[in-house]
Amino acid sequence: MQSSVLRPVLAIYTAAFLLFLYGPMIILAILSFQSADGGPQFPIREWSTYWYRHLLGLTETSRVSQLPVGESLIRSIILAFMTTVVSTVLGVMSAQAFRTRFKGSGVVFYTIILGMMVPGVLVGLGMALLSNTVGVGQAWWSTSFVLHVVYTFPFAFLVMLAIFNRFDRSVEEASLSLGVSPAQTFRRVTFPIIFPGVLSAMLFSFTLSYDEFSRTLFTAGRDLTLPLAIYGTFSVEIYPNIFAFGVLTTLFSFTLLAIYGILMKRFTSGAGRFKGQEEG
Amino acid sequence: MTAVMTDRAAADAPSPAEARRKSDQRRALALLSPGILWMLLFMVLPMCMVVYVSFWTQTTFAVEPTLTTSSWERFLSTPTYLAAIWTTLRVWIIVLVATLLVGYPVALFIGLFVRNKTLQTALLVACVIPFWTSFLIRVIAWRPMLGTEGAINVILMKLGIIDQPLTFLLFSEFSVLVGMTQIYCVFMVGPITFMLGRIDPSVIEAARDLGASFWTIFRKIILPLSLPGVIVGAIFVSVMVLGEFATAASLSGRKVNLLGNIIVSQVGSLKWAFAAVAGVVLTVIITAVIALALRVVDLRKEM
Repeated sequence: MQSSVLRPVLAIYTAAFLLFLYGPMIILAILSFQSADGGPQFPIREWSTYWYRHLLGLTETSRVSQLPVGESLIRSIILAFMTTVVSTVLGVMSAQAFRTRFKGSGVVFYTIILGMMVPGVLVGLGMALLSNTVGVGQAWWSTSFVLHVVYTFPFAFLVMLAIFNRFDRSVEEASLSLGVSPAQTFRRVTFPIIFPGVLSAMLFSFTLSYDEFSRTLFTAGRDLTLPLAIYGTFSVEIYPNIFAFGVLTTLFSFTLLAIYGILMKRFTSGAGRFKGQEEG
Repeated sequence: MTAVMTDRAAADAPSPAEARRKSDQRRALALLSPGILWMLLFMVLPMCMVVYVSFWTQTTFAVEPTLTTSSWERFLSTPTYLAAIWTTLRVWIIVLVATLLVGYPVALFIGLFVRNKTLQTALLVACVIPFWTSFLIRVIAWRPMLGTEGAINVILMKLGIIDQPLTFLLFSEFSVLVGMTQIYCVFMVGPITFMLGRIDPSVIEAARDLGASFWTIFRKIILPLSLPGVIVGAIFVSVMVLGEFATAASLSGRKVNLLGNIIVSQVGSLKWAFAAVAGVVLTVIITAVIALALRVVDLRKEM
């Protein structure tokens, strides 16, 4: 390969690509420190944390109404948590089932995968029509919740499928042949081995659900989730308080990622210790 | 194998292996049924509902379950809605090509040219990090970037390249295309990088030793081997772009109306039957696209 020419060119291109990915967020972060009388654009009149205080309700009443973050944030977190639990359980169960060959596995596979493929507006519309017809009220914890699981369950399923593909069957066989019941074997042998995968599936489900809004739009009823609250500001003029909000939610996501990293590290180092004992 | 057998299965079965297979299958079915039931009830049934309601009778504020094709007739004879189909297809094709053109060289660099595993992972993580910001925030972040007083115009005017701010940047089809390309191109980079990373370096070395130029190596080895990644990426991008409405709603200033936007606005004015028609049209388009892509590559094998 003509690496001497091509490599530096591609390296520069990749750097430009990263700038393209990060540029808007960097500008947004800078503008979130706009002063109280400044708009959502350049120039920065004066550096201040006004819009952060505005977001948290620490400023006197102003021309800009406060973003309804408090309650919607709590709703979104509860919803994401419920979704995480259910879709991870479903994902582990289905992937476990896929370890045995059975007829119609192709159809079942694609039915599950369809959940992440089908656009949110469509299932959202369908669920709204269905609940209208059946006469079930819409709420974020019912109609939205089931759709969130439809969306995140395939991701959890795929993650677990990948984990089970690399799984050493003989450990389980050993446990079963020693007379341990299948349930006990799963709890004591299988689960600890697949735990990193479970953690990843949970992370996927939580973040996808936390950020999901096209499925929530028609099905949330009266009480809004966080993405819906942001979406509501799209139609009106925007102010730097959205930018401040963007910075804060990004920091929140990083905190979540850090917790995941710590849990993962603690777990894998624990597994390393276990391996050491085995060898010694 | 017989040592693994449980006594329960051994008692009544003709052959132990057969019995074990049977009990395994029963367990698999039991484990699958909750997930399948969930998908049937909350995904397949709602989708059927969309098709069904598209044939209902629309009154001013409600729909009645009297079957008619009037919503379909109105949809297919109104230029605005036909234009929305066309816009959706055009935006989809442009964004698909743009993500491929923007993403492929990046994937080529990360997957093939970076041989250091740590650096490779670091670069991929750098591509994924923006996803930790809310999707809607990432969309709205283009406003201070592209606006008439936005970053790009300010920089270009400071550099003296332009005297007047460029107005076509924001609230146009251009801004929608740029926004979508930025948000979705990582879904193209990921799968392609994955496929390129699996290419055995010795194959490329052999080709080079035999005197092939880089262009020949690229055409004969790299491109064909990365094709499954391109298809998987294209499926991801297509499905997401075709179902889009938020980017257009936020960045086009109501100038770009995708089928998704039609659905949202029709639901907003309680025209359920009409929204359902748009939904069915969208479903047909997406199904056609995925079916076409799956003819080229078997998704299950690549996972």
